[in-house]
Amino acid sequence: MTSWYQRKRTRELALVACFLAPALSIFFLYRLLPLGWNVLLSFQSWSPLKAATWIGVDHYEEMLLDDDVFWDALTNTLIFIGCSPIAIALALAIALLVNSDLRGAAIYRTIVFLSYPLMTVAVGIIWRWLYDERGGFFNYVMRSSGVIDQPVKFLQSFDWALPCVIAADFWQVLGFYMIILLTGLQSIPQHLYEAARVDGVPAGARFWRITLPLLRPSIFLCIVVGILNSFTSFDLVYVMTNGGPGHATELLITYIYKAGFGQSRFDYAAALTVVQFLLLVVLTMLANKLSGGNAGSLER
Amino acid sequence: MSWRRILTHRFVVVPLAVALLAAGWNIYIRFNDDGLIEGEVRDRTGAPVSGATVVFFERNFVYYQEKQRTMTDAHGTYRFDGMQVHVGQLEARTEDGRHSERRQLRLWFRAQNAEVAPLIVDAPRG
Amino acid sequence: MRRAPSWPRHAIMVVVSCLMLVPFYWVLKTSLTGENIYAYPPHIVPVDPHLFHYVDVWYLIPFPRYLLNSVIVTTMAICGNLLFNTVAGYALTKQFPGRRWVVLLFLSCMLIPFQATIIPAYLITSWLGVLNTYLGVALPLLSTIICIFIFKASFEAVPKSLIDAARVDGLSEWRIVVRIMLPLSKAAIATNVVLTFIWSWNAFLWPLIVIRTSEMQTLPLGLARFLSVMEDTTGALFAFVVMVLVPGLTIFLMAQKEFIRGLTSGATKG
Repeated sequence: MTSWYQRKRTRELALVACFLAPALSIFFLYRLLPLGWNVLLSFQSWSPLKAATWIGVDHYEEMLLDDDVFWDALTNTLIFIGCSPIAIALALAIALLVNSDLRGAAIYRTIVFLSYPLMTVAVGIIWRWLYDERGGFFNYVMRSSGVIDQPVKFLQSFDWALPCVIAADFWQVLGFYMIILLTGLQSIPQHLYEAARVDGVPAGARFWRITLPLLRPSIFLCIVVGILNSFTSFDLVYVMTNGGPGHATELLITYIYKAGFGQSRFDYAAALTVVQFLLLVVLTMLANKLSGGNAGSLER
Repeated sequence: MSWRRILTHRFVVVPLAVALLAAGWNIYIRFNDDGLIEGEVRDRTGAPVSGATVVFFERNFVYYQEKQRTMTDAHGTYRFDGMQVHVGQLEARTEDGRHSERRQLRLWFRAQNAEVAPLIVDAPRG
Repeated sequence: MRRAPSWPRHAIMVVVSCLMLVPFYWVLKTSLTGENIYAYPPHIVPVDPHLFHYVDVWYLIPFPRYLLNSVIVTTMAICGNLLFNTVAGYALTKQFPGRRWVVLLFLSCMLIPFQATIIPAYLITSWLGVLNTYLGVALPLLSTIICIFIFKASFEAVPKSLIDAARVDGLSEWRIVVRIMLPLSKAAIATNVVLTFIWSWNAFLWPLIVIRTSEMQTLPLGLARFLSVMEDTTGALFAFVVMVLVPGLTIFLMAQKEFIRGLTSGATKG
């Protein structure tokens, strides 16, 4: 009897191993291994035709002390992330509007969300065209309403390029924030509002005392999405400005791409990636702390 | 789930409709893609011009070049055969130096058979 | 209890919706218009609208080729996801030593954005010898952690008695998954298919790195290449944009519910 049970158990374990193997090997090959390799590579001098030699922290030294582009890219990435609370606030306003028993809320929700599943490359081309100084929508509206006399080359301007890219990104990601916040809003028990209303708590206070605190996990999730967005916006920047003018819209991810695949400096690009990843971890932990901890737990 | 419900599900209906449309369009193309481009050349009074040269330019955002030329017959008609194009321009020229405008020709698919409105030869070349 | 009238909220939402739709309209208008797209002032309504820009895109750029490549990569990704995520999700519903570690591993992998791995991922792909192949593009997209957990949750909701009955009937594990679990997890399957479709259809950075030759390019790469060759000088670019967006939008509108459920249960892309 025992041996029968044991055999069955062994077979089951073998099956589990077989079932897990493909997924695990994909994630090992394309997530864990690269992460380790990045760290290793960042301390080496290596190129596809050259054997690796250990050079310690030279890359980091170069990056932090001599590389102005790195600092530009870092600043831009931080600005990019730093602007996401504006989009989150906008999305929260929209979510509050469509959450209530408004007729046709589903239609508004679909329209606001419609831009999220679009191909980012296409979004970049659409917005590039909207900013165009001749056929573009913004110049047309601003010129015909008399705000400006001369066409503005938004994406070629050092002052305007980054805000313009960020605005395009807002347009795409706003719907996603809204959906996350809506899910959060719907999980707030209604009886809390009823009780507050009975006690005569004004609407404003209800928002600050009930809605916002209970939305903290959702807001944390939005912030994480905002941070990750500075990575995924590669497509947008690549198409709209390719980091230009100068390095005015260079993000860390576009700089990594350029260093790695433009200049074939894989080792240096790996060091940049390590810095970017650390930035991600630190910012996520910070956001987690601010939103009261344990908010991003995914195993429910 | 019954077959009826499966067949009327939107994930089945929409791809099927798209597939049917594409198939229908391709069948239509199959019967109309001999690349025949036909038309007439006339002068200002409306009389057919025989012996005029009609030039086809392939013009799009990749090329702008002459592709083929032909002559009008006694009735002033011309005909291109097997033209593997979907966009271009036509111009008629006569021996004595008159020519027509360059007529833009846009087709719905490559090698579509097309009937071109009469080209009017008019001003001398200059 | 007096309720605030709803028309101000409608007014605000109508304005917001219009603002969100402007970019769609502007690009559609430009793709249809017959006038010079650089004419100032641009017309709000297309002048002599025609569809010939779309015909140009179909024949002058190898659009059918790009489409084929995109369809192949996306199909591979969807099939891989369905297979690997199902079995992995099923394995996670079982008890086995080290299960906690596997879950922890998946969760930590989820926190690593794919974009942070591109340099070694490129080197690994080239070491595997699948650079510039469909497999090379599809490989990292073949499994999605979020979807594994969606499947796991869905399988756990299947009544235990049903599985036991099947086991008594002598069905093998594989049969149990195919015959009992999957038919009861239609929502999870739909979510998985839609998420995978949207992500692999839109993927740009990874194909940009892996693809070397123009006949292997997928639609986003073709779009970027067309932009770099022509700049935005022709309405055909915008026709191209519309043609690329339509399949994604169609799928999204058909499966909005599944897509949103997938996103909110996993919430982070990558």
